Amino acid sequence: MATGRTREMTSVAPAARDLAELRAELRAWCRANVPTGWRRAQTGIGDEEFVAFQKDWFQRLRRAGYAVPHWPAEWGGGMSAAEQMVLYQELAAADAPRLVLAFVSIHHAASTLLTAGTDEQRRRHLPAILDGELWVQGFSEPEAGSDLASLRTTARRESRPGGDVFVVNGQKLWASGAVHADWCLLLARTDPAAPKRRGISYFLLDMCTPGLDVRPIRNAIGDAHFCEIFLNDVEIPAENLVGPENAGWQVAQATLAAERGMTMLELAERLGNVGLRALVDTCRTPGPDGRRPIDDTLVRDRLAGFDAEIAGLRALCRDLVERHDTGAVGPADASVVKVYYSELLQRLTGFGAEIAGLAAHTELAKPASSGWESGAWLLDFLGSWEWTIPGGTNEIQRTIIGERGLGLPREP
Amino acid sequence: MSTYSATTVSATTAPATGAATDEAEQLRAELRAVARDLLASGAAPSAGTPSAGERKDDGEADWAQLAEAGWLGLEVPEQLDGAGVTFAETAVVCQELGRAAVRAPYLGTAVLGAGVLLAAEPCAGRDELLGALASGAPRLAVALPTGDAALGARAAAVSFRLAGGAGGATTLDGRADFVPDAAGADTLLVPALDEAGAPVVVRLDPAQPGLEVTETPVLDVSRGVGSVAAAGAVVDPGAVWPLVGDGWSALRLLHARAALAVACDALGVAEAMMETTVAYVGVRQQFGRPIGSFQAVKHGCADMFIQVSVGRGLVADAVRALASVGQDVGGATAPDLAEDLAAVETAVSRAKSYVGAAAVDVAGKAMQLHGGIGYTWESGVHRYLKRAALSRSLFGSPAAHRARLARRFD
Repeated sequence: MATGRTREMTSVAPAARDLAELRAELRAWCRANVPTGWRRAQTGIGDEEFVAFQKDWFQRLRRAGYAVPHWPAEWGGGMSAAEQMVLYQELAAADAPRLVLAFVSIHHAASTLLTAGTDEQRRRHLPAILDGELWVQGFSEPEAGSDLASLRTTARRESRPGGDVFVVNGQKLWASGAVHADWCLLLARTDPAAPKRRGISYFLLDMCTPGLDVRPIRNAIGDAHFCEIFLNDVEIPAENLVGPENAGWQVAQATLAAERGMTMLELAERLGNVGLRALVDTCRTPGPDGRRPIDDTLVRDRLAGFDAEIAGLRALCRDLVERHDTGAVGPADASVVKVYYSELLQRLTGFGAEIAGLAAHTELAKPASSGWESGAWLLDFLGSWEWTIPGGTNEIQRTIIGERGLGLPREP
Repeated sequence: MSTYSATTVSATTAPATGAATDEAEQLRAELRAVARDLLASGAAPSAGTPSAGERKDDGEADWAQLAEAGWLGLEVPEQLDGAGVTFAETAVVCQELGRAAVRAPYLGTAVLGAGVLLAAEPCAGRDELLGALASGAPRLAVALPTGDAALGARAAAVSFRLAGGAGGATTLDGRADFVPDAAGADTLLVPALDEAGAPVVVRLDPAQPGLEVTETPVLDVSRGVGSVAAAGAVVDPGAVWPLVGDGWSALRLLHARAALAVACDALGVAEAMMETTVAYVGVRQQFGRPIGSFQAVKHGCADMFIQVSVGRGLVADAVRALASVGQDVGGATAPDLAEDLAAVETAVSRAKSYVGAAAVDVAGKAMQLHGGIGYTWESGVHRYLKRAALSRSLFGSPAAHRARLARRFD
């Protein structure tokens, strides 16, 4: 069999009662803590208000022990995969705000530090992240998108009286949230002579360093959370190197894969709760002619199709998380989930926009802190390309599935 | 010796603690491996070239060998010499039969036959048949409505009626089409409404007067379906068995089993077509390189992988839901049962609608990516495409299952 998957392994289920207790505790907590009416309050707000709301919500979750459940216990996490699943299911069911602003910090930055960082780097940053330190990912460049390994930003080692530094020059693109970031996960070329994947290093860059210029890029829906970062003789102390010099590509690969499962499960749960509810509501809302779309057989058929597909997505994500837990993840499993989620999201939000009709065009803003299932369907639909393009376009993902998952020969 | 005997699987009947669940998973993996092996070698002759006038290429399995392997008695209780396991194990066999595109009266006998017998109140006749499933190689057929209408109104789930005059004999009337494995069956089991309007199951000899069983030739020669028509067929009162509980819940569960078993078969078909295609495009050379290295071909295979993965998830969810309700529809309290049944039907409709369509997509893509050779009779891809297409229609089309799902949103 060429699929490279092990299907029959599942984790030993923890005692069912503990999970039921956790679920009850989470329900009570959500009732007491999820801000009522946050979707309306978050619609059309300014950047400062959004950041303040996100930081406050993060601290509330942190105090309850729910902000970084996937971290090791010694750093403030310690939930099992099964417990995390319950947590994300309940947050989705209660329609809690998403942790949008801290996403890179608690996932990418933390997993980088935990897998490849030094003890000193972990002590310096993990507690700070809990206190609100924000991170941005500086990987892509104008000439290095899908072909990330061809990145051109350079880092040149130089001696200084206080210790070695790397002097960085270049340009980063699609750095989401760079305007608010305190620190940056940076990939730069340290050996221009080496084959392209063997000459890259991974750095932690303080965003207050002189020589940095951050410029927001307005995206298709009008937001500006993506940024360009220009680096002009920016000096990074050598102790901020993560992993060995010229091994940055391997560090990036290891940390990118680490967090896919649970974050995708969270998104799937969101789609299965508030997303499907919003879609059903849209289908039940009478149009200008007084007729309800849901009374149309074709609309019912497509709605039920989405219901089945969302159930399929949730099953895929649960399976991925369980196999992460038992170390039985196939080499293309995360790609399968990414492609399926993003394209389902695109079809579903496109359908929402179609059913909502002209009214969808009058919703000019969607709630900040929500996902792509806000019910402002046209904006959700436009935003869905934020899932089919980044993180390796779906074309790249299909090639990964073909080559690593199915063992097909490499491209010409 | 039975390959899958009661003794090897008795541990799975323990309460579903973590360890037992793991063990059940392991035993299912073993069953899958054994089934795949058996169906790939002796029990299922490979699709050969058709010889004039004969259906030598229907992939008929050696029924005695499948019975010997213990696959008919999987769900038969241990005290009747069965393995006493759940639908989760039956589902494994269904998927493997689809993967091998084998012709065998398994749907009629072990899915529907065993299912309706387990749903009947225990009595000597029922127990005798269950015992035969565990130790013999009977061929059963269950005359259940198989079309879209059965997913609608409650009364459409059963299409036979019993009638009896004062002092006269009890007689059976009704008709069901596309009944799986009807023509070769040695025993017919007919769900019917008795004179009081309660669901029962009637045991009949297919050869008896007033009963007509006709094979319906279909393009998918790897399966047998037929019509069962009864017109005043005289029924032995001892062969009328009530179903557990109010009978209706048992009927609903039987329909859910049927639809899910067909979805499992379709999933097996899709898996086989994906793997065959991946193997083929990895070796077939054009323009001096394997065609699987080209993006258009590779991405087509990736889409198959995604569809199969989603289908596996939906089928696993539905199997879990169905197996957990089990045959316990007589003992459960009414509100719990209604909730459980609704959950089972939702999960089954999701799986059947998605996998039913996906298997046709995947088999169709397999034909396309095999190129000209895929369109030949000899390649055998057509057998899978036909089988997938029949599975899509049997026991509820995707549209009918989605219509049922949509009712939850009213």
